[in-house]
Amino acid sequence: MLMVRAIIRPEKTDEVLAALMYAGFPSVTKMDVFGRGKQRGMKIGEITYDELPKEMIFTVVEDSDKDLVVDTIMKAARSGSKGAFGDGKIFISPVDAAYTVSSGVKGL
Amino acid sequence: MKEILAVIRMNKMNATKKALSELGVASMTARKVIGRGKGKVDYLLLKGAEEGYEEAINQLSPGPKLIPKRMVQIVTRDEKVDEIVETLISVNQTGSPGDGKIFVLPISETIRVRTGETGEEALGDYADSE
Repeated sequence: MLMVRAIIRPEKTDEVLAALMYAGFPSVTKMDVFGRGKQRGMKIGEITYDELPKEMIFTVVEDSDKDLVVDTIMKAARSGSKGAFGDGKIFISPVDAAYTVSSGVKGL
Repeated sequence: MKEILAVIRMNKMNATKKALSELGVASMTARKVIGRGKGKVDYLLLKGAEEGYEEAINQLSPGPKLIPKRMVQIVTRDEKVDEIVETLISVNQTGSPGDGKIFVLPISETIRVRTGETGEEALGDYADSE
């Protein structure tokens, strides 16, 4: 199993969640985060904003679904056809085990 | 070292904290998250409701589409994992959908900021807390 963590624009969250639902991945958790990227934040006039609001969504999927999930998030989260700075990042990390609390069953 | 990420019900937080500290696992990070599980949400229906179609509005369930939960993050030694997962399940289980999920992830390094200790000694001694 793999955990996919995506940091995306807050205004794109609904689109990404809808795209994931249609692709067959309903289970998602999201949280508000703040951060900056390679561009060292955003400079508007004299002021530099280096803690930009983003949303982090995370989901755990089977190894074989990884490409589909990444693709789905990428398509939905990209602004315009070419994308722009600040569209976000996707991180993937391994998961050893998953348990469902209500049934106590191991596995997704 | 392993990281245990548990997404649980908001109202089970106190019971979980109590059970974990009785187990000798006092260190944890918790935060509020919102999310959804295996239940399907029909976005066409939502869109229709936003545009004001009566049929779509009538089919909507009264609940929100993302549900508030608590996410608990615990970093621990390999041998403690099973014990903690069992405790989390037994405390949080009500048997109905929405009890949450528990994920176990590998952690490659832990560093204690105060002293700069690395590895398992940075995790602290469980015997101290008992």
